[in-house]
Amino acid sequence: MDKARLEAWLGQHICITDMARLSGGAIQQNWALDVTRNGAPEAWVLRTDNAATLPESLTRAQEFALLQAARAAGVTVAEPLMLCEDAAIIGAPFFVMRRAAGHASGHANAKRAAAVGGDAALAAAHGRELARVHRTAPPAFLGAAPAAPMAAFIAEMRARIDALGRPRPQLEWALRFLETQPPPPRQPVLCHRDFRTGNVMIADGRITAVLDWEFAAWGDPHEDLGWFTARCWRFGQDALEAGGIGSLDDFLAGYAAEAGWQPQPFTVRIWQLAATIRWAVIAAGQAARHLSGREPSLELALTGHMVPELEFDALNITERLRAGTA
Amino acid sequence: MQEPPDAANLLATARAVLLERILPALPPGQQLDARMVARAIEIAARLIADSATPQAPPGFAAAIRAGQHDDDEAALAMLRADARARLAISNPRALRE
Repeated sequence: MDKARLEAWLGQHICITDMARLSGGAIQQNWALDVTRNGAPEAWVLRTDNAATLPESLTRAQEFALLQAARAAGVTVAEPLMLCEDAAIIGAPFFVMRRAAGHASGHANAKRAAAVGGDAALAAAHGRELARVHRTAPPAFLGAAPAAPMAAFIAEMRARIDALGRPRPQLEWALRFLETQPPPPRQPVLCHRDFRTGNVMIADGRITAVLDWEFAAWGDPHEDLGWFTARCWRFGQDALEAGGIGSLDDFLAGYAAEAGWQPQPFTVRIWQLAATIRWAVIAAGQAARHLSGREPSLELALTGHMVPELEFDALNITERLRAGTA
Repeated sequence: MQEPPDAANLLATARAVLLERILPALPPGQQLDARMVARAIEIAARLIADSATPQAPPGFAAAIRAGQHDDDEAALAMLRADARARLAISNPRALRE
């Protein structure tokens, strides 16, 4: 990255004192930027595209607009500061935002919460935060709300399975269940679509920022509730259904307090099945990116071997839902 | 006849060297890479040893999508056996949980 060009674009009142690439982000690159603005130090993050982008991922300009909309709705997000759509400055479009304190680590959160038998307050805080996400006005580029979010979800998953070219009978079985036993629908809202503990910054037990808005879209609010509580995001703490940090009840109570309506656990568990299917499709897609030769990566290759566990999980959840014991 | 040691033995031996001798000497930033290499070796060894992963009949997935196997317990049993066989290769720890 050309620091001088970046500094010139940021303006003469801003000096970059330090910059370092942050870990994580298979699709986006994040850089920690230490700057001075009119001589006063500030901590920023610069977010830009990696060499390989995903077609289903929003552009930086769209993500910047979402951060502004979310902030206006009272979601705890990093303050978006400047957007640059000119790819000539650092090689790809980017934006800068204020750097939130703390860490976003699903593993560490789950480990800490499990040691004390679950963190009810933190689980409820995540529920409240998600309710604020769902209050955010969806920007115009997200198009019109789907009439039937579950039907749209099923169609999207089938299309992506077909595009990957390998039959997935276990996922088909689970999708067919969702098609024949659809949960009661809710009015579509802005869904984050990757709201999990690994994308929520925590400092001193408090949420400091909801990260990674690149998959946001219209959807049923249960979709995010199911994604957050799906087994694949519990990091080994299966009994703590809400992201490995707390109980489903504590999480949903926090959500209800802020949203003004009470989600039903059975409906959330139906959407946990949807989450498991979607993660399996994403994982299979990551292996396909590796296998295409365009993006050889051991991490992507190994992600492909997570698919059987997710398929096995999807069958088990479908069985529990069919039996009414979920 | 191939010359021994066979693939399984070589992969297991190489993995042990990686985990016991190389990994502890690596800077923290590269230990995750080494763990991923060890995992790839482990999965590859099981893939090589596998000869009998059951094959789903052609058109099975499409027939499920079309609703031809709704409430078909025999189909479900086949799906479970297939998922279990692939999981035993990709991540057998998940089966023991």
